[in-house]
Amino acid sequence: MKLRGIGVGAMMYGLGYGYARPDFSATDIELAPDGTVTIWNGASELGQGLTTLLCQLVAQELGIPYEDTFIISADTGRTPDAGPVSASRSTYVQGNSAIKACRDLKGPLSELAGELLKVDPDRLIYKDGLVQDQEDPNRSISFHNLAGEMHKRGRRVRGSGYHNITTADVDPETSQGDAYASYAWASQLAEVEVDTEMGLVTVLRLASATDAGKAINPKMVEGQIEGGAVQGLGFALMEEMKVEQGEFKNAKLSTYLIPTAADVPMVEPLIVEVFDPTGPYGAKGVAEPATIPTAPTIFNAITNATGKRVRSTPASPERVLRLLGKLEEEEEETQLTFEDMPYPEP
Amino acid sequence: MDENNLVKMTLTVNGEEVSMMAKGGRRLLDFLRDDLHLTGSKEGCGEGECGSCTVLLDGHSVLSCLTPMERAIGRSVVTIEGVGSPTNLHPVQAALLDEGGVQCGMCTPGMVISAIDLLQRNPDPTVEEIIEGISGNLCRCTGYKKIIFGIQHAAEELRSSGRTGMVKEATR
Repeated sequence: MKLRGIGVGAMMYGLGYGYARPDFSATDIELAPDGTVTIWNGASELGQGLTTLLCQLVAQELGIPYEDTFIISADTGRTPDAGPVSASRSTYVQGNSAIKACRDLKGPLSELAGELLKVDPDRLIYKDGLVQDQEDPNRSISFHNLAGEMHKRGRRVRGSGYHNITTADVDPETSQGDAYASYAWASQLAEVEVDTEMGLVTVLRLASATDAGKAINPKMVEGQIEGGAVQGLGFALMEEMKVEQGEFKNAKLSTYLIPTAADVPMVEPLIVEVFDPTGPYGAKGVAEPATIPTAPTIFNAITNATGKRVRSTPASPERVLRLLGKLEEEEEETQLTFEDMPYPEP
Repeated sequence: MDENNLVKMTLTVNGEEVSMMAKGGRRLLDFLRDDLHLTGSKEGCGEGECGSCTVLLDGHSVLSCLTPMERAIGRSVVTIEGVGSPTNLHPVQAALLDEGGVQCGMCTPGMVISAIDLLQRNPDPTVEEIIEGISGNLCRCTGYKKIIFGIQHAAEELRSSGRTGMVKEATR
């Protein structure tokens, strides 16, 4: 028999390290005489699109084309320490440090532009490759020409940005406090089919709504959401590290199975944008938030389909058959259930 | 084979004749990466599970980590280095970029080769056939959706311009 069920899962996630752990990033930028800008940032591109994102932010901040930005990434000899790429912090921390580097460079840029245009530097805006008086757009100089003038006059052409989101620790007695600089939210919805003869769970549909704050590059955010959900699906249904005496027993892709294209539905991504005033243009991290709700979502759908609850990951065919009473109970380690958890007194 | 286990490797790699003495008894992947310095083909698992070492051997996709190098003697090998160039991408490569089907890039060379193999055999694949065609290529980043759509768009692009997925034709 094949049973169908629907499940929902939700999560909240503290971005960055929190709990008073060092959490900072630094970025340098340099303006070339031709108006192109080079960015130095020590964070590693893992494929999530961080270098693209930093170039986008710098281009936006300086009002220049994306093509006029170049990035030197994660070169320990030359790039300032940006901290690790983890904890879904890159957009949030590294992005902010890049914006601060731009604003640092805008100081001497606006000063010279103000002199040349005879305008108060505070009135200047950067857009469409121009530096212009926001009250009289006819008074403008191209960013390209301004860069050349900066170099001719020996003005400062480097900018540095440092952004630190290290929070205070929580109260050691009560564990109360604001542990993180910002929080992300996500929820997912899945429809599953449980084959009661085989114990096989198939995820038919999976929708994932993730709060990106502001999607600076929507396609990359979708990539994080779709990839995160599929990784979460593997965690829910397939992936289990077997450790004996501290040794991994299945550290091979033939014994530790991860989802193939044939194991997953077409994840439907939904980008939610709730502006975060502390993020770069309102953005925050989406990487882990897109992965976390998947397993509870799928487990809830299994419960909806079968009326029984899987208590540990993965919901493998063996475990599902045991749950349905079709395989003999095996001595499994006792799992703490939610009902067993001591609930703290308020 | 002499006592140093040297073999004469005479074959075509990415359209160029190769003839050299090489230490034998190794995998095709080692010969390509270590001797020819074609490091585009990746070793993910080394046991035929992940597909990131996929290359074309006489036009058919094979896992170069499971292929003895001697099996390529006298035959034609195409690696990702022989598929398009930054200024002249193969439609599969262009479509994966446009669609966002590339993240960390570890699976991408094998994924592109598998997609080309599929489109050579089946110029108008359904979504199910695309999924089957790349089910031997693991990707940990993308969730596969953008890769599947990318291959679908590449197939449309090739059909509408009357070309096959064959490397020489597609990048003409």
